Amino acid sequence: MFLVWLLAVPLAGAIVTLWAPAKGAKGVAAITSFVALLGYVGLLFVNRAGVNWPWIAAWGVRFHLQADGLGLFLLGLNAVLFVVAILASSEDMGRIYYFWLLVLEFAVAGLFAAVDLFVFYVFWEVLLVPVFFLLTQWSGARGRTAALKWLIMNLVGSFFMLVGIVAVAVIHHQNGGAFTFEIAALSGMAIPAGIATWLFFAFLVAFWIKAPLWPLHGWMPDTYGESPAPVTALISGVLSKAGIYGILRVMMPIFLPQFRQFQLLLLILAAIGLLYGALAALRQTDMKMVTAYGSLSHMAMMALGIFSLTEAGILGTTYYMVAHGLMVGGLFIVLGLLESRTGTRTIQDMAGLNQSAPRLAAYFLFFVLGTLGLPGLPGFVGEYMIIQGLIQSQVVFAVIAGFVLVVAAWYMLRVFQAVMQGPARSSAIRDLLARQVAWLVPLAGLVVFIGIWPAGITSHAVPSLYHVMHFASQGGGR
Amino acid sequence: MSGALGPEYTIVLGVFATMIMVMLAKNRTILAYWAALAAVVVSGVWTIILWSDRALPLSLYAQGVTVDGFSLVINGLVLLASAGALLIGWNDERYGADFPALVLLALLGMMVLGLANNFLVLFLGIELLSLPLYILAASGGYAESREAGLKYLLLGAFSSGILLFGLALLYGASGTMVFTQLGNSPLILPLAGAGLALTVVGLVFKLGIIPFHMWVPDVYEGSPLPVTSYMAFGTKVAAAAVLLRFLFFGFSLAVGWWEPALGYLAVLTMVAGNLLALAQKDMKRLLAYSGIANAGYVLVGISAHNQSGARAMLFYLLVYGLAVLAAFAVFTMVAGDRKSVSLNDLTGLARRSPWLTAFLTVAMLSLAGIPLTGGFVGKFYLLQAALYANEPGLAIGLVVGAMIGLAAYVRPLQRAFQAGDGAVVPIRWPIAGAVVVIIAVLGTIGLGVYPAPIVHIVNHSAAFDWLH
Repeated sequence: MFLVWLLAVPLAGAIVTLWAPAKGAKGVAAITSFVALLGYVGLLFVNRAGVNWPWIAAWGVRFHLQADGLGLFLLGLNAVLFVVAILASSEDMGRIYYFWLLVLEFAVAGLFAAVDLFVFYVFWEVLLVPVFFLLTQWSGARGRTAALKWLIMNLVGSFFMLVGIVAVAVIHHQNGGAFTFEIAALSGMAIPAGIATWLFFAFLVAFWIKAPLWPLHGWMPDTYGESPAPVTALISGVLSKAGIYGILRVMMPIFLPQFRQFQLLLLILAAIGLLYGALAALRQTDMKMVTAYGSLSHMAMMALGIFSLTEAGILGTTYYMVAHGLMVGGLFIVLGLLESRTGTRTIQDMAGLNQSAPRLAAYFLFFVLGTLGLPGLPGFVGEYMIIQGLIQSQVVFAVIAGFVLVVAAWYMLRVFQAVMQGPARSSAIRDLLARQVAWLVPLAGLVVFIGIWPAGITSHAVPSLYHVMHFASQGGGR
Repeated sequence: MSGALGPEYTIVLGVFATMIMVMLAKNRTILAYWAALAAVVVSGVWTIILWSDRALPLSLYAQGVTVDGFSLVINGLVLLASAGALLIGWNDERYGADFPALVLLALLGMMVLGLANNFLVLFLGIELLSLPLYILAASGGYAESREAGLKYLLLGAFSSGILLFGLALLYGASGTMVFTQLGNSPLILPLAGAGLALTVVGLVFKLGIIPFHMWVPDVYEGSPLPVTSYMAFGTKVAAAAVLLRFLFFGFSLAVGWWEPALGYLAVLTMVAGNLLALAQKDMKRLLAYSGIANAGYVLVGISAHNQSGARAMLFYLLVYGLAVLAAFAVFTMVAGDRKSVSLNDLTGLARRSPWLTAFLTVAMLSLAGIPLTGGFVGKFYLLQAALYANEPGLAIGLVVGAMIGLAAYVRPLQRAFQAGDGAVVPIRWPIAGAVVVIIAVLGTIGLGVYPAPIVHIVNHSAAFDWLH
């Protein structure tokens, strides 16, 4: 029942914020997200029972939610990052802003728990709506264009996936099975080869766009650039994981033969994305865009882990999703705090800020080191496992990934060096306030914790991944 | 059973009662509205009672009409449409005192089309539906409205002629007027083919399928808002119902004659209708093109030619109608004394009336097919029907259309959330309009969140056992 809590609390809280006084909306939202986080603690330590209620009996659709090793920690990532993002938002955003944030938390929680394709798709599309409105109303000058781009690009992918979902269920039914959307029932089903290729790409494009992965990342620069920092943190920290998660949750069980067939193509595409993101990040002058393209590169790293089709790679990706979400979310929020103090995001306009704001600089450095994969922090563990998987399957891509790690260190440290170190040129800025430190400390603590104890996550993920990995290791890896 | 046509007779009585009210109480036109609404409600209750009747399906008047689950669901839909139109235009002196009586007459035509199992009844229904709508379209009193009425009359008469010619040819080719006997009759082939083609053209003209859609935007734009909502919802339900019954009952064996053609028309309509909707600045024209595109979705259900297709079509008509009613009720309130609403009039609506903006958002998201609204479930059902019929082209056409339509539907929303310039003018809420919008929005969300009961109803209404 804690799983229902995770969905019901944000939804109820969202409705309450609509009636909250304008200044109190943030408080209501913060309390709501905290209560949801408590629910997650309950889910983790007390009871992980899912729910399986009939929804539309005539179509075999069941409201089936489950917290297994794949989604369990992503649910946690969702619960944690929303608390942080709400606390990091300004009080003058108005109640509708917090309403949409909580609706988003509800939709993402549902997405990471759904094991019925219909339910999965419902949450998958519902989460587009709050982001669309957040971009429309609470973003920079080009926010409306960014919002339209976000919605249309994402829906183009999802609509083809919708055809794919119905087609998979209909084929399963016509093969003599029940008419059902349950992923477990559909896994490993027989699909005629020609149709299977079409369906495979119908699904893949949706996830590819959402992640985003090169070359379907067209919505990313505008969205990341225009949205307020907490929303950027949520999009890159949580929502982007939905794409990778979808590949693991939905596509792996159903389309494993196609993954094997197209493995090389997928690896090449992901590797190009990996290089493209890293090199583009090097060229950016806007510190937010450096992180955005860096994140694009990291998403490609996760995709490589999956496409290696090895135990180590897939497990590394499940772990890296959570780790990256926490770190990049923290990084975007720190960047937001920095931007609100300096009024600019251009790297050249800032220098030597660590003299006036040593605490801010310290947290900035912490998250930078985390994303570039310093041993001891979780980025390292994830990248290590993914590279191990790549060595087992296609060693060329391991070399490329290793090279990109070096570039990652370069582009991230370049920003830190330029902004924080050197002689102070611009005027002094205010350091972090005590209440901002109050929620940055637990976030950083959590990052360190999963960095030094990755088995806490991987040991849970292994049983759920067993089937996927069992299939995968049968012939995918060489 | 004698009461099988009760809902229809109630409306006949309602027409008389409404006209008498208009004559007796010249200064209190509201009485006529109440009489009309009462007739609609009684007819609706009667329909619900008939639903649980075991005697159905029932064929009456020498197989002229068929009362079955399908016709009862159509009854429910057109009653909903006419109640919506009555309430949106509630006691508005701009439309004249005969507005409620004309709405009821057109309603009777729609109900007859739901029952029709015979060429004559079909044609009677079409005319009974069309003639009051010609007058209603012109009832706005301003130049555009008169133009709309005249245009509708001329093109409508033209299409009726085509339809009648087609029916005559079919009668000549088969020797029967009853849909269900067409399949067993020896057909004189070229004659029957021409008759079928002309009949289908006459019917899809009413539905507003591209390339027979030219009248739709102009007539919708010129007509008063409640009449437009009535045409967008009620007329489409009736035309789709009779087209489905005509083809499924009469030409179920000769699917090769009509199925591919309708499939291509459906794809063309979905894609082109949504493309044309993209460019619209006037909200009535936007909903006109949206209505064209949605007629294309409805046609998917028919050209799939299976049980899921018929069921999905009924379900989709309901969710489409609810979204249209909600949108038109909101637009009527925003328009106030003006004739129409443009994109610019919506600017800053979120500031003027947050609730109306929220309702408009639900309606538009439903039309766009976003989950947790009825529109998504409707499209999902249609996709099932298309894929069960092994027609992936229909499914892809549907989603491509939906993608294009999406951009058209979110544009008004972005305008509404944009900060307007100048003073915030509050919006007056007429109670009747508020009732429509609240029921329609609750229904839209309800159908999106828990569609199971309605799915159950449509699955039992369209029990065409000879299809797979």
